[in-house]
Amino acid sequence: MDTTGHTVTITINKNQYQAVEGEILLEVARREKIDIPHLCYESSLSPYGACRLCMVEVVTCGKTEMTTACTVRVHRGLEILTDTPDVIRHRKILLELYLAEAPHSDVIKAMAIRYGVTKTRFLKKIVTGDPLLGRCVLCGLCVRVCNEIMGAGAIGFVNRGPYTIVSTPFLEENPACMGCGTCAAVCPTHAIGIEDTGEKRIMRSWSGTPVEMIRCAGCGGYIGPKPVMEYARSRIDPVMAEELQELCPACRRKQVTR
Amino acid sequence: MRIASPEDLDAVRKIGLFKIQPDRPRIAVGLATCGIAAGGNELYDRLGSIIREGGYDIELTKSGCIGFCRQEPIVSVTIPHKPLVLLHHVTSDTAEDVIKGVLQEDIPKNLALCRVKEWDHITGMIQYGEGFETIPDYHEIPFFSNQHKIILRDAGFINPEDITEYIAAGGYSTAFSVLTGRDPDSVIDEVKRSGLRGRGGAGFPTGLKWEITKKAPGSEKFIVCNADEGDPGAYMNRNEMESDPHMLIEGMLIGAYAMGISEGLIYIRAEYPLAIERLRHAIREAKSYGLLGKEIFGTDFSFDIKIAIGAGAFVCGESTALVASIEGKIGRPHPRPPRLTDSGVWGRPTDLNNVETWCNVPVIMAKGAEWYSGTGVRGNSGTKVFSLVGKVDNPGMIEVPLGTSLHRIIYDIGGGGAGGKRVKAVQTGGPSGGCIPERFFNTGVDFESLLTMGSMMGSGGLVVMDEDTDMVDIARYFINFAASESCGKCLPCREGLKHTLLILNRILAGKAGVEDITLLETLADTIQATSLCGLGQTATNPVQTTLKYFREEYDALIVQDLPDGGR
Repeated sequence: MDTTGHTVTITINKNQYQAVEGEILLEVARREKIDIPHLCYESSLSPYGACRLCMVEVVTCGKTEMTTACTVRVHRGLEILTDTPDVIRHRKILLELYLAEAPHSDVIKAMAIRYGVTKTRFLKKIVTGDPLLGRCVLCGLCVRVCNEIMGAGAIGFVNRGPYTIVSTPFLEENPACMGCGTCAAVCPTHAIGIEDTGEKRIMRSWSGTPVEMIRCAGCGGYIGPKPVMEYARSRIDPVMAEELQELCPACRRKQVTR
Repeated sequence: MRIASPEDLDAVRKIGLFKIQPDRPRIAVGLATCGIAAGGNELYDRLGSIIREGGYDIELTKSGCIGFCRQEPIVSVTIPHKPLVLLHHVTSDTAEDVIKGVLQEDIPKNLALCRVKEWDHITGMIQYGEGFETIPDYHEIPFFSNQHKIILRDAGFINPEDITEYIAAGGYSTAFSVLTGRDPDSVIDEVKRSGLRGRGGAGFPTGLKWEITKKAPGSEKFIVCNADEGDPGAYMNRNEMESDPHMLIEGMLIGAYAMGISEGLIYIRAEYPLAIERLRHAIREAKSYGLLGKEIFGTDFSFDIKIAIGAGAFVCGESTALVASIEGKIGRPHPRPPRLTDSGVWGRPTDLNNVETWCNVPVIMAKGAEWYSGTGVRGNSGTKVFSLVGKVDNPGMIEVPLGTSLHRIIYDIGGGGAGGKRVKAVQTGGPSGGCIPERFFNTGVDFESLLTMGSMMGSGGLVVMDEDTDMVDIARYFINFAASESCGKCLPCREGLKHTLLILNRILAGKAGVEDITLLETLADTIQATSLCGLGQTATNPVQTTLKYFREEYDALIVQDLPDGGR
């Protein structure tokens, strides 16, 4: 999309704000401390529009149309209403659906309470042995970050419709996983489990994929997953001095300042 | 041979005409998927062995489907200088009677459905002849006489596996005159003036879409044919491709020329193996005659069509999911914009039209925009093919002008309820459509009227329900379909439809209270308003329309004062 860099004035809830043309509306709202709930948006990824919580109303010629704030690009004269009765009504139902889908997520519970939704009228998912702990809302952030940012493509969506889950191919250990943990870092509901046992990192949510850890040549402590370290080193330009490569940040600092 | 001049085209036309009207009797068995399912292949083989063993001078061939499903297997018989006669319910047992009748020029009365003295292929006229006065005329059969065939002009009359027969019916002569003598922009203008709207269901003006695609920046663009027809009970596109594949290819060729695009794709569902086979065959034939490939008709215009096969997901009929599927990605929609006309297949501007939309193009260019818009109603020009199915007396593939009333379709063509039962409602537009009760059957089938009724045109499925049909169960059926076909990307469709289904199950099991109906209504409203793509946005139409028009059927299932609140 073209971001021309022009500053334009837009209207959110009858107040006027300055924004850059082409900017994502949700970014503007965040900057201006206007609360629009969302689960699937991440500024470094392409717009996705799946969680539907950021639905707002766009006013055009007196008519309103519902759309997601994470997919609207700012243009001159854009007029938005973020909490009309319709928006709130639908948001509450969506939160009830989330409470049923991810019954063990405290993040969802807290989000729902802010809208006065304390329980759900829908049948809650029965959670037994779920590697995602009954917290996954299928926002796809982990899948997208693994594909778009890390380039590993270790996880993806399995099945479709209400049977969709996120996992590794064929629900088997996946050597493509580098163990970087970016998935867990972006997960809005803290659903992804990672266990460090010392010499191994176990990706509990990703079919128990084990990832080898490497030790610091200096102090002997574990620095991080081997594939991540190799990946990172291959991308450092200029190349890091070989005697520094095998060291943890603390030992490296000592080495350099000695 | 490569066709490069009117003389070449004429030479092929003569070859084809001699196949349609040989100097000896011709028997053609209707062999689209429906005819095959009714035993057409066995019949074809039986007829073949009788002819071989008897050494009879009879031409045996295949034809497409004329659409009268109830009368399958249907066979057409042509005896030189006599009317073409359609035979119905022909089986291997009666095959001998057919051959005997043909040889004696005396068609068995019990097998004869009707006779056709001449047939207007619109792009050409074929005269058969006089005689067989005791057999009813085609125009005396209400199922046929109330129809208006433009798209199905060749279906059932020509062999879909023989390009020369299509050319004999006037095929490709329009593409020839367009490519050799019309300015591309004037073609787009003609289509715009015809008022043709997208037949996939949304009804977007086709000419306008072509113009937008043409004006989009970039030199490498695609045109795509959407043949991912997946509505339960809908098989219009399948029949169009199986019965007359060259009509689609010619339409795409003209569109490609108008937009200046040299790459075409047909995205077709894997569940249509015969249509895929016939399209592949047709593309090969077209290439061998120089109608696809480089320097078509000897001009400097080149265009080729490739086939992309879907993997069985309803949502892949949605434009952005369709593109993802073509690119080998998971078939999930993404938010629009960008629209396909800006960024489609492999990020290139892409024009996507339904099979039937493309099929309208050759006639529009052959007869002109004024002629075309003379059929139908204001803002809804032309005809529409429907699959009339369910509890109707004459199920079949029918074609009527847009704006024709449901009453005329269901009673005059369909013959009313099956077995004389009272018709209660009709579902239009498949799982995305709604159920329209009998009292509104004066509604005309056009894009706007159906929307007003809470339903939609969709691709053209008409499922008839009679007095025995349980409307709540119908709603459950369609929700079950939509829920299992949801891609799972956005919450309202993925979870919302699942819970809609659970509530409907509870109601049908007699375990639901009044509050469940309220919840059902509320949830349907949210799914409609907040879903990402058209599948979710329209999936609750069957629930909303049955609640609106058949509320009493829901109420009858509700248990008052459930001791435990129904759970």
